[in-house]
Amino acid sequence: MIRDEVPPTRATPGVAVMNFNRRQGLKGALGAAVGASIAGIAAPQEAQAQTRAETLRHVMGGTVNSLDPTSPGSTRESYGVAMSIYDRLASFGRKQIDGNWVFDLDNVRGELAEKIDRSADGRTLTFHLRPDATWHDGTPVTAEDIKWSLDRAVLARSLAPSQLSSGSLTKAEQFSIAGPRTVEVKLDESDRLALANLCVPFAIMVNSTLAKKHATADDPWAQAWMKENTAASGAYMVESNRPGQQLILKRNDAWKGGAGGELPFFRRVILQTVPEAATRTNLMERGDADLSVDLASSDVPALQQRGKVKVVSIPATNAFNAIVFNTQMPPFDNVKVRQAIAAALPYDDIFQAAQFNRGRALFGAQWTEAPSSAFPQAMPLNLDLDRARRLLAEAGHPDGFATTFSFATSYAPFAEPMGALVKEALAKIGIEVTIQKMPDSQMATMITEKRVPFFTDSGTAWLPAPDYFFRIYFTRNQRWNFSSWNNPEVNALVQTARFETDPAKYDAACMRMITLLGDQVPQIMLWQANTDAVMAKDVTNYTYWFHRQVDYRDLKRG
Amino acid sequence: MAVLRGLGRRIGERLLASLPALLGVVVFTFLLMRVLPGDPAVFFSSGPNAGQAEIDAVRRDLGLDRPIPEQLLRYLRDVGTGNLGRSLTTGQTVVQDLTERLPASLELTLCALVLALGLALPLGIMAAVRPGSIVDHAVRMVCTLGVCVPTFVSGLLLIYVFYVQLGVAPDPTGRIDIFAAAPPDITGFMLIDFALVGDMEGWRAAASQLILPALTMALFVLAPLARMTRASMLAVLGSDFIRTARSIGLSRWRVIAVYALRNAILPVLTMIGIVFSTMLGANVLVEKVFSWPGIGSYALDALLASDYAPVQGFVLLMAAVFVMVNLLIDVLYGIADPRVSVA
Repeated sequence: MIRDEVPPTRATPGVAVMNFNRRQGLKGALGAAVGASIAGIAAPQEAQAQTRAETLRHVMGGTVNSLDPTSPGSTRESYGVAMSIYDRLASFGRKQIDGNWVFDLDNVRGELAEKIDRSADGRTLTFHLRPDATWHDGTPVTAEDIKWSLDRAVLARSLAPSQLSSGSLTKAEQFSIAGPRTVEVKLDESDRLALANLCVPFAIMVNSTLAKKHATADDPWAQAWMKENTAASGAYMVESNRPGQQLILKRNDAWKGGAGGELPFFRRVILQTVPEAATRTNLMERGDADLSVDLASSDVPALQQRGKVKVVSIPATNAFNAIVFNTQMPPFDNVKVRQAIAAALPYDDIFQAAQFNRGRALFGAQWTEAPSSAFPQAMPLNLDLDRARRLLAEAGHPDGFATTFSFATSYAPFAEPMGALVKEALAKIGIEVTIQKMPDSQMATMITEKRVPFFTDSGTAWLPAPDYFFRIYFTRNQRWNFSSWNNPEVNALVQTARFETDPAKYDAACMRMITLLGDQVPQIMLWQANTDAVMAKDVTNYTYWFHRQVDYRDLKRG
Repeated sequence: MAVLRGLGRRIGERLLASLPALLGVVVFTFLLMRVLPGDPAVFFSSGPNAGQAEIDAVRRDLGLDRPIPEQLLRYLRDVGTGNLGRSLTTGQTVVQDLTERLPASLELTLCALVLALGLALPLGIMAAVRPGSIVDHAVRMVCTLGVCVPTFVSGLLLIYVFYVQLGVAPDPTGRIDIFAAAPPDITGFMLIDFALVGDMEGWRAAASQLILPALTMALFVLAPLARMTRASMLAVLGSDFIRTARSIGLSRWRVIAVYALRNAILPVLTMIGIVFSTMLGANVLVEKVFSWPGIGSYALDALLASDYAPVQGFVLLMAAVFVMVNLLIDVLYGIADPRVSVA
């Protein structure tokens, strides 16, 4: 078990680090004789500086609660760290937008595979494994390991099967060993997202020999063991882990899975849980921490202004914030009521007050037919009070009605100003709004049970293909269909678009869905918030990834 | 010897008598958690593609699909065998989490308490010796300030001054510098462990991490302790035996420190017991601000996430600590005033 492990005694340079830091601590002891120890600090400081430069200290509000990202209940932070510890067969590339690195869904490269072939009919994927790929224990990666890992991803009772099914990966029979280092994946239909689904954190490749040693009759996929241990081949190994406090990773110098076979820059990564956002801000500003992606967004402009740290603001290209109607619940089952409210909101004011304009607006377009298949895109949402009043009267509510607007406590920083503006704006057309703030778990339960009439929520799609977005957020009776929208045409389009091989037909289907969304407004799309990654000035190469966590393999210093 | 044996028996009886109360606490918390809105199965199966099947799977894993009486019986059986369940938030068993975090909280609370007493007793005595004087008013002001300023404000203020501006305090992240090696886990109390292995530099590093959060907590509990000391001392100083002591010419110091203080300490002891238990469980804000891996913030996180097992475990632990502290205070009563017996 790793948990209780005392950080191991390191090689000589490490010892120097230790000593130095004790001295630093001594310096910190209030009232200690600082002067006396200065002479002693000078020498080890150089050794420290070198090692510290190769160490990344990432402070975060959340915790890594499982080293196996697929275990039910694992946190988002667990997904991020799994990207660095485990390899997948393939990986998305990245591209630069406005000078910032962003993941690129359309550009897939091999990670454990050195070559990926897709058959002409798109129904067979062949993965040729890297000949020099090894697990962390030094044993070579075999086709049997890959087959076992893929089987695990679709068979184990975990978070993986439902994700992978979105790429038509559902049965163990689809995966076969075609040679000593070749694995074939067969698809019943040419699913557009089959390969993409093998790039997500749930599609980890596991050292099956090691994992099987810890499997039991009740737990054939070693899920209990893998929550606290790793059987991986990725760029980093776990050095020590204190769940809820800190996780320390060290670089795997035998790693070959990087783009161009390059090793990551940082030799050591410390992930530390610092629950209080103000404390994280202090640490960043003092230069004691190197990276944080979850500072309070109200602190970020001030940080940027003082200029001691670097702020990389990237609109979350695969996310959205929205005001949601429960379309199965009166009065919001009436499309005219939804359209009326959509015409009554002061979008610019809400964007300014709730988000400080930090993000990409998804309102304010003027189209009636969607101009492109990109999604999320700006929707035809504009303030027009006359139209709102007219629509509300047509809907049979000329004098308005009363409703509640709900949000989860963790959304309060932006949802409170938003709620106040919504309340004020809707009062103008006679709708009386009561604001309701709920603890997150309660809100999650209420939304899943479809008991909230009118609320704000946000969503992220790991694979931001338009049809995938619609499938998750606008169809079926499930939690993520916030608005419980049940539009027969969208339901049908989602099913065909998924397997559509003709790009023109695919685009047409997506545009039609977006047009319907714009017309029926089951939810009011607001914006894509910026993710603000705050880092030390010398840290470079930060990439925005679909899982919204940090991929330590990208980062460099200097 | 007979006295000790009697004491031991009485302690045993007291512990036995506290069992029904503990059982009540367990059952009450168990039911309360299930009455509160918020479903842990939904909250923890919120993967990007999780549907009803995943929610049901988590629910089954947690045993939440069974009727509540059955869940309660199972839980009681587990508690009886020392199994408090598993935390979904950290992925560890609750027993593991609590044994790791309780020493952190205890160490902080004890240091804060010692610090608070070291300030509160002299202040209270000084104020009592000269009631209505400048000293008395100054003490009153210090106490009012301490109790008015919420701990997270004073904590952040201390961090801002000593860490951000002056740079003399280490970064406020937990019990030990992140780059330094932790001591071997002997007692879980860093100061004791470092002292045991003779690592004085480590000891100083741990102490310097401790000093700001301890000070923050101490400032907050200064007021009740100092005010109670003052009130109690005032009453005692006006009584006959003090007048007698003075009249037979005992030194002023001896009268105050030996005769008055010992008689005035009983209500202060009661206050210490209450203050200690409150500090241990309720100083979530200090723990949050200083990233202190204590039990208060652990329980709060679990509560917000509707994570049943840690909350139940925490409440049980706090109840047990409360019983122990009360017992200890009663024993101390007996030492301070032989007329009081533990029974």
